[in-house]
Amino acid sequence: MNHLPSTLTWPLKVVTCSNDILLSLQVKFTTDVCPPAESVHQFYDDFDSHLWRSDHLLCKSAKTDFQLYQNDQLIDTIKTARPVQFWWHFSEGLLRSKLKKLTGLRAILPIASLDLLKTSFLLRNCDQKIVVRGSFTQVIGGSATHCYLTLEPLRGYQKEFDRAVNIIQASVLDSVNDFGLKFLLLSTNSLPAQNKLPEKISIDKTMEIERAVRVMAVAMLNEAQRNVEGVISDIDTEFLHHYRVGFRKVRSLLALLKKALPVTMIAHLRAELSIIAGKTNKLRDLDVFLLEQERYRLMLPVGFENGLDELYKLINSQRKREKNAVATYLASEAYQTRISVCLQALAEEPMFETTLAAKPVLAVVKKLLLKRYQKMLSMSRAINKQTTDEEIHQLRIEFKKLRYLIEFFVDLFPKKRVHKLLAEIKKVQTVLGDFNDYCVQIDFLTAYMDHSKIELTKALSGLIAILHQKLIEQRITAEAALVTFFTEEMTIEFNLQYGAESMEKVGESV
Amino acid sequence: MKVIACYSMKGGVGKTATSVNIAYWAAKSGLKTLLIDLDPQGASSFYFRVKPSKKQWGERFFQAYEALLKHIKASDFENLDIIPAHLSFRNFDSLLSGLKKRESRLKRILKGFNKDYDLVILDCPPSISHLSESIFIASDIVLVPVIPTTLSERTYEQLLDFFKEHKYPKTHITSFFSMVQSQKSLHKATIEGMSQRYKTFLKTTIPYSADIEKMGEHKAPVDVFAKSKPANLAYSELWKEIAKLIKS
Ligand SMILES: Nc1ncnc2c1ncn2[C@@H]1O[C@H](COP(=O)(O)OP(=O)(O)O)[C@@H](O)[C@H]1O
Ligand SMILES: [Mg+2]
Repeated sequence: MNHLPSTLTWPLKVVTCSNDILLSLQVKFTTDVCPPAESVHQFYDDFDSHLWRSDHLLCKSAKTDFQLYQNDQLIDTIKTARPVQFWWHFSEGLLRSKLKKLTGLRAILPIASLDLLKTSFLLRNCDQKIVVRGSFTQVIGGSATHCYLTLEPLRGYQKEFDRAVNIIQASVLDSVNDFGLKFLLLSTNSLPAQNKLPEKISIDKTMEIERAVRVMAVAMLNEAQRNVEGVISDIDTEFLHHYRVGFRKVRSLLALLKKALPVTMIAHLRAELSIIAGKTNKLRDLDVFLLEQERYRLMLPVGFENGLDELYKLINSQRKREKNAVATYLASEAYQTRISVCLQALAEEPMFETTLAAKPVLAVVKKLLLKRYQKMLSMSRAINKQTTDEEIHQLRIEFKKLRYLIEFFVDLFPKKRVHKLLAEIKKVQTVLGDFNDYCVQIDFLTAYMDHSKIELTKALSGLIAILHQKLIEQRITAEAALVTFFTEEMTIEFNLQYGAESMEKVGESV
Repeated sequence: MKVIACYSMKGGVGKTATSVNIAYWAAKSGLKTLLIDLDPQGASSFYFRVKPSKKQWGERFFQAYEALLKHIKASDFENLDIIPAHLSFRNFDSLLSGLKKRESRLKRILKGFNKDYDLVILDCPPSISHLSESIFIASDIVLVPVIPTTLSERTYEQLLDFFKEHKYPKTHITSFFSMVQSQKSLHKATIEGMSQRYKTFLKTTIPYSADIEKMGEHKAPVDVFAKSKPANLAYSELWKEIAKLIKS
């Protein structure tokens, strides 16, 4: 179809001049003005802003209606009577399935609100035919009040539209693009800080390694710290998970590059961080088990429900206790002090005490990557049927470290190749991770065995037997995955990517 | 995209009233609808307050659909656009007689709208001519309003014969009783008789109603100014029946 000029929106020069604009339009048109409609839009998103980042807006306008917008187009509306916090609280539909995909285990939280007053009007010609549609949108949100005028052309009435645009020109500023809820949220500064992407730390390949490690460690600790409030209020289980991932990363970084920092400092830091991380182990185990509830229920045939119910009751009450303990700890002064001492130590200027400290990042990391790869290669070659599960776990941990090491410095490497490599590593890691999970789950469940509780023990025995079977199968898959990973090509790739260049005397100290 | 032609050899039977109200309900039901006013008198354009362009563009009508695009006007209702009639449309017949493949001209032109519209409604002038032939070929449904009188029955018979003669599929003809005055025994009897003889009649009948006449005064479909009146209900029901036909 031949193109229609697009709808235009302008900010008014003076917020209160909408009446004057209508009067000036009345010289050429008959105007029909509808009574103004007020609506309060409450916007929701999860802590990671998954909706915002994928161009979705979840908003509640009338008391019980949730609306989901994609690229500013309304795609679904769902009524809810009960309060909602997770995707599974919504009834079946597009909105629910989108939220499921985008927010997963994250809770949906109110993030911003807009108060809109919209006054629609029609412009008619002398035949009383509508020739232009228009509206004023007054918005109160965040820090300011703005008023916008929108004019929408109608097919076949281009001249009338142009005429109207001409008339209002003197009362408006330059027209804006992409007018809609998203635009309004941005222009009123209504979004919380979390919606802005965290500042990316930039590591230059020639930066001294000590400096780089410090900068990165501080950023990682701060990133982990962002989750503390959410863990304490127990909003969703992802806060704790992300908190722990943050700590795991710092600890990994410090372990991998321990020789880049002063000896006494690194020892103290690692001890401190290990204590902190240990405080949340139990809670995370309980969370994982509760999240897997459905899967466990499906594993057992009918007749085991009572035992499972008993088990879950037990775990739920343990979780409550454990959660309170963690919350108390994280809110305590002892914790706050501990963290700020670590942060302060890391934030200091580099001291260059070790031989490695002043070496350039890229060279150090390359060398380290190659070294770790070779170590893993020989570990994996030693694996056979007699190898203990423990040794497989060791290799899993090595894989994790290798992946972290690459991910920490991913920007220093050629993008395509490094991502391909990461994908390969991830594949093996998933297989090894599943293997580990079965072991952990068996240990976890075994701890609940209690022969005075017959039903409970029956259910536990059932689950453990099944998990054990899966463990055996997974061991075979794991060994196969290792063989697939450690090919001759992979070794060549590592040598090519991280070895070839003469190591500019990084030294043997890594 | 489907094409419905509101057609009758006779004038004043309610073709335009039907086109306007059916187009209105179709658009309201969510179908992207285009009403093309083929009658040079321009009555349906008038009901939608749309003036024809000043250009004598009738000559270009059958050339390409791009020529029609320029003349599309948005109605006051969502999903409903209109191509208003022009006085130059009265030459359509002689225009067509000079064209090759004239029977399929209209069909080919309308195909161009396939992407943009779900439904095209043609408000036709009363005649049997080259134009009506191309209308029959272009339409999925030829919707014929019939006033239930003896004379109408003969006209209707003629139309059926014409279809038979030219081997147009008769199933394209769908009819309904228009301007029905149920207190008149002649109307009642004719409706009964014709419904039995022909299987082409829809169940809904459109009553003779002052509210329909008032469309001229309000320049709008009946629903806009006589929402709860029987005549309005009748058009809404008529549309529902047609919508079902379109779907199947
Ligand atoms: N059901 C009806 N009841 C009363 N008047 C009607 C009805 N349908 C149409 N009319 C009026 O009859 C006249 C002719 O109707 P119209 O729809 O223009 O017929 P056509 O298009 O077949 O010539 C118009 O004045 C119209 O208002
Ligand atoms: Mg007519």
